[in-house]
Amino acid sequence: MHLPNQRYRGGIALTWAALACLSCGLQSAAAADAAVPQDAVQMTIDFLAKDDQAFRAIGLDRVRYGLKGEAATVQFAGLLSKLAPARQAELTAALADRGDRAALPAVLALLMASKEPAVRAAAVSGLGGLGSGTEVAVLKTSLAAADPEKAAARRALTVIRGNDVTPLLVEAAKSGEPGLRPTFIDILADRRAISALPDLLTAAVDGDPSVRTAAMRALARLGGPEQVAGMVQGVLKAAAGGERDEAERAVVTVCTQNPGKEKAAEALLAQFKAADDTIQETLLTVLARVGGTGAIAIVDGLIADTNTAKRKLGLTALAKWPDATVSQRLLDLLGASQDQAERDQLLGTLIRIAPLPDNKLNDKQKLELLEKTMSLCKRDEDRRRVLERANAIRTIETLRFVVPYLDDPNLAEPACLSVVELAHHRNIRDANKDEFTKALDKVLGTTKNEELIERAERYKQGQTWERKKPAKS
Amino acid sequence: MAYDPASLDKPFDVLKTFDWGGDASALQPIDAAVVAAHGDPVARADLEKRLAALLGAGTSRAAKEYVCRKLSLIGTAASVASLAALLPEKDHSHMARFSLERINAAEATEALRKALGSVQGDLKIGMISSLAGRGDAASVPALAALLSGESKTAVAAADALGRIHTPEACRALAAASGIADKSAVAAIADARLACAESLLRQGKRAEAKAIYTSLSEAATAGTTPMAKATRLAAARGILACLDTTTTS
Repeated sequence: MHLPNQRYRGGIALTWAALACLSCGLQSAAAADAAVPQDAVQMTIDFLAKDDQAFRAIGLDRVRYGLKGEAATVQFAGLLSKLAPARQAELTAALADRGDRAALPAVLALLMASKEPAVRAAAVSGLGGLGSGTEVAVLKTSLAAADPEKAAARRALTVIRGNDVTPLLVEAAKSGEPGLRPTFIDILADRRAISALPDLLTAAVDGDPSVRTAAMRALARLGGPEQVAGMVQGVLKAAAGGERDEAERAVVTVCTQNPGKEKAAEALLAQFKAADDTIQETLLTVLARVGGTGAIAIVDGLIADTNTAKRKLGLTALAKWPDATVSQRLLDLLGASQDQAERDQLLGTLIRIAPLPDNKLNDKQKLELLEKTMSLCKRDEDRRRVLERANAIRTIETLRFVVPYLDDPNLAEPACLSVVELAHHRNIRDANKDEFTKALDKVLGTTKNEELIERAERYKQGQTWERKKPAKS
Repeated sequence: MAYDPASLDKPFDVLKTFDWGGDASALQPIDAAVVAAHGDPVARADLEKRLAALLGAGTSRAAKEYVCRKLSLIGTAASVASLAALLPEKDHSHMARFSLERINAAEATEALRKALGSVQGDLKIGMISSLAGRGDAASVPALAALLSGESKTAVAAADALGRIHTPEACRALAAASGIADKSAVAAIADARLACAESLLRQGKRAEAKAIYTSLSEAATAGTTPMAKATRLAAARGILACLDTTTTS
């Protein structure tokens, strides 16, 4: 029997009298299970009714870890409908931790009866801990509710056990409420539902962009070489722009980070080679983002082509390269090219890749490449970008490279920025204190940027500076 | 490598005058010999004898500390007399106890028990702590007698009885009455909880519950400092005693 929820509105704690009545009922229920020490059960129930949180915690602790057996579980679960909402939530959480499915009917009943958001969220969480495939339907309904119930349902569907859960979630991802299909896909990824990979590949070419995006996101987490062909279809299906970009990143993740990444990269190359010109054009960017020797041969061929459009495609691909293995190519092309737009693109690529943290060069090589790039710059705009990128190479040699530009009025500000950024790193700063002090003094006499002035002063005094976090959009 | 006493002559000479800040590497052969003596009773006895001989007058405090540390590893009843002689000395009592606490010989406990009756103040508290560390049931009467004494000593004695937690220790704590010092009363309650928990772990639920109930009643009556904490701990304990489905 469930008492009307309204009766307990106002957060009034369960009274001793109510508990006494309850305990009368419990006596008979407990008689069926002689192994359950009724005095301990009653004492636990008494504690659960206390206003004092510390005493309630003792009772909840016993619900969680003590008084083993289904009979005790049923007795505790029987309290749920009679408690004030706040107490319902805490007892539900304890019953969920207890992990005895005998509490499931009471938790379900609580969810059906309560309108309190916190109680409903607790009941939904409880279903996640106690339930199985049978409860997926209820949780799916809660997923359509507002937070905190929705968030609880999301977590519950992620942790709920049972061999039948993944097929049910797959079905929901296929034909559930359209707005929730991406969420079901995300849940499958959170559950690391490898058995759902074929369905995720189907979803990657779905008619709904949000489903496609979620599927590619999931495949990025779970996919391997076997999924690359299907993911390529996802890239081709994706609308140009943000969706395509995300889809490409998913393929890049599988080919550069996931287990079997080398084979995945080979699979991508094979897909590319087998495709017609139009598809190759679309896939070229993702191929370039993955990089590798097979891909560079293709890009080289395009750049060498007499067809201007193909050459442009090749250069665009080169601009996406993930590391500095193409640096000599870029330098050679830059030396040979007379086309200003091409030169700008090549120079921009060099400036980007030279200091990349994982670009396959050591710090010395990175700085040499950046210095070479600087020597090829003909405009201050490009030189400024080189100076701004330089601080990603955190060595004293970088400081020595940057400092002379503090005297150039056109380049002083980016040089100041890099000096200050390098000084931010105490290990370099402390090991080269004199050089940094001189450089920071020069910054203080040069920059007009107030933040740089404050930072330079702090670093000179051996203090730290907390980088401001970007405002959340 | 066979034990070579002569190879340690020079390190032992250095040890005689060793002081903190000195070159401890000169003592490394002794360290190595102590480790190597494991399983070699002859070497161990010789080393113990040579180390114990340095505990008398004429060696620095640093040297004595070093010796105590080594004797804590290889010491036997043979070292007890030398170590016991340091127990009343303010500068050396602590390290002598450090060593005696770890020596596996009844004589070591006996020496600590004997010193308990003769030293005062912080040194006495040290003896109490060491006897508790050794779980010495025979010191229960002496410890019980201290419960009504000076505050710090009484607190230490209560804690020790809780750590020893034999039936006699539990009874001695329960019997403590008429104690005015609040710290001592709180420590006795704490020690009784320790006794109850020990009994519960042994499956002696009824005995444990009796202690928890007594504590709960005293706390409810307001005769115990930290009444709320004691009530909570006792309530938790009583519930655990009643819960026969769970092993504690």
